[in-house]
Amino acid sequence: MENLDALLHGFSIAFSFGHIALMVGGVLLGILVGVLPGLGAPNGVSLLLPVTFGMPPVSAIILLSSIYWGALFGGSVTSILFNIPGEPSSVATTFDGYPLARSGRATQALATAFSSAAFGALVGVILITCLASWIAGIALEFGPAEYFAVYFLAFSSFIGVGGAPPSKTLVSLAIGFAIAAIGMDTVSGSVRLTMGIDELVKGVNFVVAVMGLFGIGELLIAVEEEMHAKAVASRVEWREVVRTVAGMPRHGWALLRSAAIGCWMGITPGGPTAASFMSYGIAKRVSPRRANFGKGEPEGIVAPETADHAAGTSALLPMLSLGIPGSATAAVMMGGLMIWGLNPGPALFVEQKDFVWGLIASMYLGNIVAVILVMLTVPIFAALMRLPFFIIAPLIFIVCVVGAYSVSNSYLDVVLMMGFGVLGYLFKKLHYPLAPLVLAIVIGDKAEDAFRQSMLMSRGSLHIFVGNPLVTTLMAMGVALLIVPPLLRLVKRKEQSNA
Amino acid sequence: MVSRRALEALTAAITGAFGVAIAVSSLDNGIGWGTGGVESGTFPFMTGLIVTAGSLYNLARGLMAGRESLISAHDLKRVGALFLPAVAFVALIPVLGMYAVTGIYMFATLRLQNRVAAWRAGVIAVVAVVALYAVFERAFQVELPHGWLGAALDW
Repeated sequence: MENLDALLHGFSIAFSFGHIALMVGGVLLGILVGVLPGLGAPNGVSLLLPVTFGMPPVSAIILLSSIYWGALFGGSVTSILFNIPGEPSSVATTFDGYPLARSGRATQALATAFSSAAFGALVGVILITCLASWIAGIALEFGPAEYFAVYFLAFSSFIGVGGAPPSKTLVSLAIGFAIAAIGMDTVSGSVRLTMGIDELVKGVNFVVAVMGLFGIGELLIAVEEEMHAKAVASRVEWREVVRTVAGMPRHGWALLRSAAIGCWMGITPGGPTAASFMSYGIAKRVSPRRANFGKGEPEGIVAPETADHAAGTSALLPMLSLGIPGSATAAVMMGGLMIWGLNPGPALFVEQKDFVWGLIASMYLGNIVAVILVMLTVPIFAALMRLPFFIIAPLIFIVCVVGAYSVSNSYLDVVLMMGFGVLGYLFKKLHYPLAPLVLAIVIGDKAEDAFRQSMLMSRGSLHIFVGNPLVTTLMAMGVALLIVPPLLRLVKRKEQSNA
Repeated sequence: MVSRRALEALTAAITGAFGVAIAVSSLDNGIGWGTGGVESGTFPFMTGLIVTAGSLYNLARGLMAGRESLISAHDLKRVGALFLPAVAFVALIPVLGMYAVTGIYMFATLRLQNRVAAWRAGVIAVVAVVALYAVFERAFQVELPHGWLGAALDW
């Protein structure tokens, strides 16, 4: 009840003409940086940070968090239309979003993604509202062993789905881990696997890898298949947007399940990327339409998008309350917080009630504003699909080059991206799965760090992974996800041969 | 044309070479249990071994694969038509800078490969360059490479 009163007070602060205008501006800028490759929410936030110095802290955080919401939505656009995920957390959206858009239903794909994302974010905010202080407590309980268990769970829910030959899946996964290990090792500080190239000390950024594997690789496949953009009716497809949104309750079960996974991973804090992969993996196992996954099944968009946004939103609170920035954007925002004279951390909730609850209330409003604005842009983005392929292809290529370069102003990254492009083409031709490779690049080194830190704490004993109920449960779930499905298949095969 | 057997073998050879390179390179960092816990080469060494072993298996399987054509001569030509100019693009970035290369590349692919009218190709190329400059260099202050050409022009 106390929380509800505080929230209503928060709404009275956030709901003003000036603040709504800030949200609209922030969201629009966010969508722009989200859609542009190589730029992301951190660019938008740092661009506007100086503007906020003269504002009251509540207005400032509303503006900056709106950029974040806009960028989250915008990131899905390129995943779906061009198979170029702008952020790690929207990789899983490409698996079904891109095929659906390619089959001429770009509007449906975008509208599905946005409405699921909105639902996920809403569940995340509600959770924050109700369980604010409790959540902060849980995140504090997490040590390296628990982190490792969460990553392990994410891997095991994703590995083994799909029909790729096991030896190819294994090679793909292990290459991903090796790439993640390149550069500075965060545990010991030593430099690994740079093969004498000094610039590799910074590691191989995920964006460089996916731009090549997905962007360039897919482009090569597309020209080979002589892809022509389908001549779709050039009418603005509002009706399709409305129909898709109205049809969302059909995915009710998937929405709820994915939101639950997302919130859990956001709090724990496995993060949005692990959440979206895990949610997709589980949907692919349990959905009645699992046979269509990977070929443009809407539920394959619902699952990762809902989980991504639920996790992204619910992760914001432990970040605020513990003062640990979970992402680049959050780090820039926290810098802003300190400049405005606020101290992120547990004390914030006691000393700055107006600020905290104003921010939480603005999450509701900001997401509503973001959904409305982004839905309005759907037909514009969908129209991009109607450009002839011979114009789109060189543009996508330029976009990939600029994106790879601007990650860290490095020419080497562009060269690496071309290499990944060739690898992506070969892998796609020969049915090596790309998803395990990308998952390993994104969370491989975090999983390794967590494992080694746990080993340090336990002096080399694996008992730390069954040391308390929380970590034991997580590990047991992970192991179960790994071994139960093959066992079930085996039993089924036996029954069939007996019958 | 390229057969499935050749492509499988080529890919397995590439991944295998990568695996060996990873395993050998990680020996420098030490493997096993050291004073600071698990040594930093251990994990990459294991992944290197897995990649190598998996690639050998894939190579053996690949050599047994059929000789049917996976990429026809026609396909190969089309892929090359996209990929080779792309390689030239990347190679020329340090020389001419991102903006000049973008303009030339857009114009050339549209005009020479797709027979778009010269004025149209020119307009699209100029719009692409201006958009790139406005968004990255101006709005978000991300400096794209200007190349030796840029340096020669004192930019």
